[in-house]
Amino acid sequence: MSGADEGAYVESTIIMTTVRAIAPFVFTFGVFVMFHGADSAGGGFQGGVLVAAAVLLLAFAFGIESTRAWLAGPLTRTAIAAGGAAFAAIGLGAIALEGAFLEYVAYGYGSTGTKYGIELVELGIGAVVSGVLVGLFFSLASGDFQLSAESDTEADATGGDES
Amino acid sequence: MTSEAIALAAVLTFSMLGGAAAILLRDVLNAIVAFAAFSFGIAAAWVLLAAPDVALTEAAVGAGITTVFFLVTIAKTVRPGGERLLERVEWRSVAVVTLLAGTLLATVGSLPAVGAADSPVATSPVTEYYLTNAYTETGVENAVTAVLAAYRGFDTFGEATVVIAAGVAVLLVLRQEAYA
Repeated sequence: MSGADEGAYVESTIIMTTVRAIAPFVFTFGVFVMFHGADSAGGGFQGGVLVAAAVLLLAFAFGIESTRAWLAGPLTRTAIAAGGAAFAAIGLGAIALEGAFLEYVAYGYGSTGTKYGIELVELGIGAVVSGVLVGLFFSLASGDFQLSAESDTEADATGGDES
Repeated sequence: MTSEAIALAAVLTFSMLGGAAAILLRDVLNAIVAFAAFSFGIAAAWVLLAAPDVALTEAAVGAGITTVFFLVTIAKTVRPGGERLLERVEWRSVAVVTLLAGTLLATVGSLPAVGAADSPVATSPVTEYYLTNAYTETGVENAVTAVLAAYRGFDTFGEATVVIAAGVAVLLVLRQEAYA
């Protein structure tokens, strides 16, 4: 599996240089869209996708395996779980303070509290979306399913054909 | 026709050509590029219809991430060989698609005109309430965000849960434990 990936990756000066210049801006724009969704177009979903796109750019330029090694560990899963938990905590916290689910004014900061609550929720959504997309990309691209098809004895013929 | 209508017709024509190319091109790589062009056209159409939030989503998801996912997927599959550029047309599929498209197009006449002041959405008291009170009640200037994250926050929570559930399910199916 890893042999096939290394064979597929060809180092390209043009792509690497371009991505090195663009990726920080894509990432920053993604975070901006996530945070600034309250006051302009955008929000957690769109910003999360842009942040994931920045990671995907890096993977295309510098090799999928080395990018995954750089992001090693349970980072994506932590982002997914923490984002969802943050959203739920903000919603349930309002209930604990005798409001309704996600009733931001229950926190007692008026519309300012509502605004920052909304931005926290957007950030949580962004973490979920970017985590899911990056995890999906690495799972699809790394060919885990091929590895398991090859190693399993009951693997059908198609797995062998593709590799 | 106003200049906006002409621009809209132009991007929709571009999208239709991209969609037709995505269907007809035989090589999947060509079809994926054509499909990305289709999505870019649709994103431009959303901008022209003054829906930047939807346009941003369409551009990032439809034209961006989906294209990348398709690319990494075809890298794992077999591309059809041969010299033919276009796919063979299946007339039975064409009949089904024509029937579906015809049914959908039959409803277009019942829709209000684009930007019509008397459309139910524009005259609804709910819309009026959001536009009047969204800023004072939530402090956010984007009324779309106010509706998504505050007034309809529970729906958005459900959406985030769907994303988590779908992501977890697919990651499990792809045997994420293999390298965990």
